[in-house]
Amino acid sequence: MIQLEHISKWYNTGAARTFVLKDINLTIKEGEFLSIMGPSGSGKSTLLNIIGMLDAPSEGSYQFMEQSVFTLKEKQRMELYKHNIGFIFQAYHLIDELTVYENIETPLLYQNIKGAERKAMVGDILDRFNMVGKKDLFPAQLSGGQQQLVGIARALIAKPKVLLADEPTGNLNSKQGEEIMELFKKINTEEGITIIQVTHSEKNAEYGNCKIDLLDGRIQQHIKENSSL
Amino acid sequence: MISNYFKIALRHLKKNKLYAFVNIAGLAIGIASCLLIGIYIWQELSYDRFHKNAERITRVTWQYNFGDAETKTANTGTKVGPQFRRTFPEVETYVRLLKYPRVLKYEDKVFEEKNFLYGDSAFFSMFTFPLLKGNPATVLDAPEKLVMTQSMANKYFGNSDPIGKTVNVGGTKDFVVTGIVADAPENSQIQFDFIGSFTTLNASKTEKWNEANYITYLLLQQKAQLAPLQQKVAEYAKKVGKEEMQVEGNNYMTFHLEPLTKVHLYSKLDDGLEPNNNIVYIYILAAVALLILLVAGVNYTNLSTAQSAGRSAEIGMRKVMGARKWQVFNQFICESFVLTLFAVILALGLSAILLPYFNELSGKDLERKILFSPLTLGGLLILAILVTFTAGAYPALVLSNSKIIQILKSGFRLTSSGGLRKSLIVLQFVISIFLIVSTIVILQQLSYIQNKALGYNKEQVLVLPLDAKVLDQYDDFKQAFSRSPGVLSVGGAYESPTDIGWGDGLTSVSDGKKISINALPADESIVKTLELQIIAGSDYTLTDVQQFDTSDNGNNIRYQFMLNESAVKAFGWTPQEAIGKKVAKGREGVIKAVVKDFHFRSFHEEIKPLAIFLDRQMLGCFFVKVADNNLPGTLSSLEKTWKQRVPNRPFEYSFLDEEYNALYKTEQRTASVFTTFSTLAILLACLGLFALTAYVMVQRTKEIGIRKVFGATVTDILTLVSKDFLKLILISMVISIPVALYAINIWLKDFAYRITVEWWVFPLAGLLAILIAFFAISYQAIKAAVANPVKSLRTE
Repeated sequence: MIQLEHISKWYNTGAARTFVLKDINLTIKEGEFLSIMGPSGSGKSTLLNIIGMLDAPSEGSYQFMEQSVFTLKEKQRMELYKHNIGFIFQAYHLIDELTVYENIETPLLYQNIKGAERKAMVGDILDRFNMVGKKDLFPAQLSGGQQQLVGIARALIAKPKVLLADEPTGNLNSKQGEEIMELFKKINTEEGITIIQVTHSEKNAEYGNCKIDLLDGRIQQHIKENSSL
Repeated sequence: MISNYFKIALRHLKKNKLYAFVNIAGLAIGIASCLLIGIYIWQELSYDRFHKNAERITRVTWQYNFGDAETKTANTGTKVGPQFRRTFPEVETYVRLLKYPRVLKYEDKVFEEKNFLYGDSAFFSMFTFPLLKGNPATVLDAPEKLVMTQSMANKYFGNSDPIGKTVNVGGTKDFVVTGIVADAPENSQIQFDFIGSFTTLNASKTEKWNEANYITYLLLQQKAQLAPLQQKVAEYAKKVGKEEMQVEGNNYMTFHLEPLTKVHLYSKLDDGLEPNNNIVYIYILAAVALLILLVAGVNYTNLSTAQSAGRSAEIGMRKVMGARKWQVFNQFICESFVLTLFAVILALGLSAILLPYFNELSGKDLERKILFSPLTLGGLLILAILVTFTAGAYPALVLSNSKIIQILKSGFRLTSSGGLRKSLIVLQFVISIFLIVSTIVILQQLSYIQNKALGYNKEQVLVLPLDAKVLDQYDDFKQAFSRSPGVLSVGGAYESPTDIGWGDGLTSVSDGKKISINALPADESIVKTLELQIIAGSDYTLTDVQQFDTSDNGNNIRYQFMLNESAVKAFGWTPQEAIGKKVAKGREGVIKAVVKDFHFRSFHEEIKPLAIFLDRQMLGCFFVKVADNNLPGTLSSLEKTWKQRVPNRPFEYSFLDEEYNALYKTEQRTASVFTTFSTLAILLACLGLFALTAYVMVQRTKEIGIRKVFGATVTDILTLVSKDFLKLILISMVISIPVALYAINIWLKDFAYRITVEWWVFPLAGLLAILIAFFAISYQAIKAAVANPVKSLRTE
């Protein structure tokens, strides 16, 4: 499903090049739950952003569902992105001025989905996440765990094939974190959605079925089919 | 989607109250200023255009020099109208008008009516003043017919029908009311309460080119005939001058045709039916309105851009969720529109509240309903859309163009638009300082006019208009007035010394040298009452009055002249040489005294030669010099004296200094307009600065925290923050000074007597701007500077 070949990303600082990513080769199959690990500054988030099409590499090619992402026109890439990728952030990034309901609805607005259908889809997911009672609250009125739940619902609403999560539990306490990870696992196994998460925590990585370790922009280790599962 | 945009716009405004307040209030003030000035300008530009025939009507003016001085006047003789119609086939019809205050009496109701016009019978067919009662063709077709406005009909007749009733006019003639007319619109040069038939006047019985007291309007067959007709009229005037008016040599006379719709704003003649405006002042006002709107718009652009820092997460998220650039752009334009719409609504309310004040400022009498007319509302909507796009497009563009990855990584940074924001602040302060400088100079010139020694004393002098009936009992009046308590002196003259309009010629008998002069018939007490200063010769005495020989139909009159210095100089004499010399103004006379030059016209004109001559038969008003204690007592005593002698004449008076001030009404109006709007501009600019500092402070919280940790004091921080803004204001000063200097000198050039612009005005204006701006900045800066750095650093 996802194929990265010879992906490098660098910044020019004076005469020297500072590499953030160096010659990354990575294949992710549909239904995988991949954890990207590594210390601060190892290039985890940059890699995730490139996979998520928010950032472009300096070099290399990227195939997403048999399409070469960086040779596509921006409009086509946007379409590919809109329909297949959902994003989740450490800081939730909910829109403060919108209610829970409206936050979840927003991606559908950008996909030109009709009002009645939108209503059904949002109602459905609110029900699934047990948040019907909270739909008219604003983000500031929710706990961190609940906010992240809204963030996940928003990422899932457009039925993406891939879910990208950047330290999804980084701002949560351990109990809330566990709940989120359980939810990820459920989504992955029951709905077959591919999940790629960036994390610091070995424990969170255990929830996935494979993982890579990054150090200074290179893949140190690629463990496929996590034995603990 | 749109509803989503509006929803988020509203919530956003609610959340950011300072931002919303500064933007909406600022824009509202800007739009309200624009709205009021716009309506005013609209009114002025629409002047006299409501007549169906407006394009075909022209006013005839007269320009001549019969050997003394060139005269240009809007008044013409009785012959012009009828003779032009007979001579030129292009002229369909004519109307002559005479404005003549009259005392009207119906049963027990007696009033002096200032807006009484005499007009020819074509009045109601030429002009579009709809008759509520009466036939337009016949209401004025015979002597002693009278048409009155609805409000006057109510005043005299209450609820009963005035048609067919008789009203006594001027104590001599009875007029029959033949029609009721709607009140004249505000934007009409012809203002009236009554119109009597022109044929009632004795003067209408003979047609004369001279004795020009009448405003003549012509109705042309076609609009396009105006220019060719002007040529023919000029030719014809030459012929008439030669054949009928004995115009010879260098002398000349000619007529001009002014289109009706151009009279109010373009005519240079100030002796028409009402004072004119000047198109230059319309331009100035329009510019001021635009500048204010610009200042408010700049606030909006600056704040939205600065404030977008707080929106970065939202924009980033929207893009992550698949929003296209144009969708984000639309969202912010929508927001801009919502905000502008609020401002427009607020501006409408503000204008409605401020309208009376604005009327005072502009001398107009606009009604509130004009604010809510479809035209005004339509104009406002267009303005709102315009503001939305000009002020909102830039922030929307900046926000929609921002790169997601940048936003998600580090938040939105202001630096990208710093240049533009700074230029806009400079623009605001250039405008503010320009307006401050203009205001200071205008106020200085006005105070100069108020306080300069005029050569006579205008304080504590009452002016009482008098007519033939009072003049008959002049001595009696004068003595009775003099006996009243608090009266120091009583004098009389043809007109008030503030504005002597009588133009004439004066010839030296010995060498035949002739000069153009202004002339003022006066009584023997004029010098004492007005405190004129005699520099040679002696004052008039009662003996001079007794020697005034009116026998033989005035042919034995020998004038006693008092010339001013300029007149003496024009003859080439010293004041001492002039005394006793013979000069002639029609009839011969001697120079009795020379008075120091005094300002008998406005400061726009140089002091010209003037001849005062003793002639108690030509007086038009009393001057009563009164003590400054117990004015009410003095007035009631004067009124009693008046009522006893002429009970049918209303007792009316004005103060000489008021008449003097009335000369500078336009200037005073300009001064109030500039004071008001320069205050507004600087207020708006500072409001913007205040809010902008708030946002910059948020951006720099971390920096300030770090500086404090390393030992910076509050003063250090304050200097750090203020420095950037104050630098911009200094730049504004440098830019605005030459512009202001140029503009203000153009305005001052219009005065023959004017102040020189002092250099300190500019630093003063700059200092004022800096001071006010500093207050606006320092509140936010101090707040940030005293905050605990631990707090600001912990969030990272």
